[in-house]
Amino acid sequence: MAELTKKGLAGFLARQGILVAFAVFMIAFAVANPRFIDIDNVFGVIRSSAILGVMALGVTFVVIGGNLDLSVGSMMSFSTIVVLDLHDKIGPALAIPSMFAMTMALGAFIGILVGYLKLNSLIVTLGMLSAIHGLTLTYSGGKNMDIADKEGTWFAVFGQGSVAGVPMPILMFAALAIVLSIVLSKTPFGRKVYAVGGNGIAATFSGVPRARVVFMTYLVSSFCVATAGLIQASRSMGSQNTVGQGLELEVLAAVILGGASLLGGAGTIFKTVIGVLILGFIQNGLLLMGLAFYAQYVVTWIIIILAVWLDIAAKRGALWSRIA
Amino acid sequence: MKITTKLALACTTAMLGTAAHGEAHSSTYTIGITQNNVGVDSYQTTYEQAFIAAAEANENVDVVVLDAGGDVARQIAQMEDLIQQDVDAIIIWPTNGEAVIPAVRKASQAEIPVIVTNSNIAEEGFDFVASFSGPDNITQGSRSAEIMCDRFKDLGIETEAQVVQISGQPGYTTAIERAKGFEDRLPEVCPDVTLVETQPGDWNREKSQQVMEAFLVKYDDIDGVYAGDDNMGVGALNAAFAAGRAEGITFVGATNFAVGYEAMGRGEYWGSIYQSPVDDAEAALQTAIDVLDGEDIPFLNYFDTPKITQDNMDEFTKPVF
Repeated sequence: MAELTKKGLAGFLARQGILVAFAVFMIAFAVANPRFIDIDNVFGVIRSSAILGVMALGVTFVVIGGNLDLSVGSMMSFSTIVVLDLHDKIGPALAIPSMFAMTMALGAFIGILVGYLKLNSLIVTLGMLSAIHGLTLTYSGGKNMDIADKEGTWFAVFGQGSVAGVPMPILMFAALAIVLSIVLSKTPFGRKVYAVGGNGIAATFSGVPRARVVFMTYLVSSFCVATAGLIQASRSMGSQNTVGQGLELEVLAAVILGGASLLGGAGTIFKTVIGVLILGFIQNGLLLMGLAFYAQYVVTWIIIILAVWLDIAAKRGALWSRIA
Repeated sequence: MKITTKLALACTTAMLGTAAHGEAHSSTYTIGITQNNVGVDSYQTTYEQAFIAAAEANENVDVVVLDAGGDVARQIAQMEDLIQQDVDAIIIWPTNGEAVIPAVRKASQAEIPVIVTNSNIAEEGFDFVASFSGPDNITQGSRSAEIMCDRFKDLGIETEAQVVQISGQPGYTTAIERAKGFEDRLPEVCPDVTLVETQPGDWNREKSQQVMEAFLVKYDDIDGVYAGDDNMGVGALNAAFAAGRAEGITFVGATNFAVGYEAMGRGEYWGSIYQSPVDDAEAALQTAIDVLDGEDIPFLNYFDTPKITQDNMDEFTKPVF
């Protein structure tokens, strides 16, 4: 609709309102503290956002498919603990694929419950949030996991390495974003995800295998979680059992901030990336401003609301609308 | 006293006759414990193991070991269960310093002494508590300030050094007390050192790494980092390494973790406070026994948490968590 009625800059703004919000915040923070746009700082923020970002990419698939995934936080703790533990037992080359297999098995399990058994995704993944937390604690016996010999392993490359000055977590986040963006927008599977999330019944009658598509979105999500766990483990070479706790809500915030609809059927990988970056830069910007940290929680919320408002305002071409 | 006891014992024995004499001479206590959240971190896991081990080693003590899983409601229910079982004393590791007070009062009304372990309950509840056994977090904070200041003096930068602080979870008593101890003590021992900024790391290594990254961008000159525990301290150390600035910074933490101990061994991390979950657990059990024996113990029964630095770390075993 917007593309037809508006042209040029106005049309661009309408489609990319969230980008406008992003630009506004970047400029505001840069004025408050010029070091905010220091290249080291920018890389630092994107690198720390990469873990959240990689998870958000997967959750974008699930949300567009019309479901929720609240289990990603504790699933990430699980991946991190498992890969750190296996690293010392069977070596990194075997530990990484084993961890991916175990994490994706959890994703497949959720996929079966939500896709094939058609159980409510909120209930299933909320339950899995605590179930996987319990699984992680059982696995580790409640102990922190640490790699014994931190110098004598190449495992640190995913979290601490860099190629041509760009940190590896950023490269992995970018590569995964590009691949998943193509999958979502250019492949039949991607179009089926939109179809299932937009109108599941219509999709079923059009011959789209709804159950299988939903199952696949959870598999994609768990793959992303495993990647995030790998980056996390490699970055700190040790971990608590609760490392991913609470991340599920931040991930969901980033995905929704990026404009994916909670009702399914709408959203893009690119906008999710912007949503992730906004959250990351807000946290960093507020830290650099030295704002008292109790106030930061409130300010973060205000900025998110402002971003959503700017997004909507750009779409309708006015700050407020008389008709609801 | 001794005579009275002997007399009492003699009377009892005489009265009960031979059949019951076995029970009469061994004063076995049943002590119940409801813990905060075993398994959520290594400290609490080790604490539980040490508590059970200490109880098994003492033949006069039977224990009922419960865990609230971090849930206030479950802890209150466990308190009620223990009251119903009529245990001799209850040890509680509060899930919440305020919410458990009514349950503690109920126990105290049932004349079961309550010992609070590790983190104290709020002051309104003190009347119902027999004793608190745990670390003194304010002293820990001030000891960390002393470690930091002594190091600056050795380096000859005590007149100009700048320090940043990464505190624990906002609102958490341990975090508040350690920060207070550090902030009050630092200007006393090193009046010319400035604490430039404090931000929370939420007891989380990754979060404190991010906080430290921002500090490094913001300040060109950082000479010291005080972290509310070693887990966060190591996160800050990692950030400084990535920025190539770890060499010039003195890192001091609290609750010495294995990772902190190892980093000290490599000469990267300067010092911490040695707090052993084993000492914590044993102190709690001993406090309960002392209360039951009617011994005179202080209301705030702290166990010692000494300073540990690269200089004296050989005197301590590596923490198990």
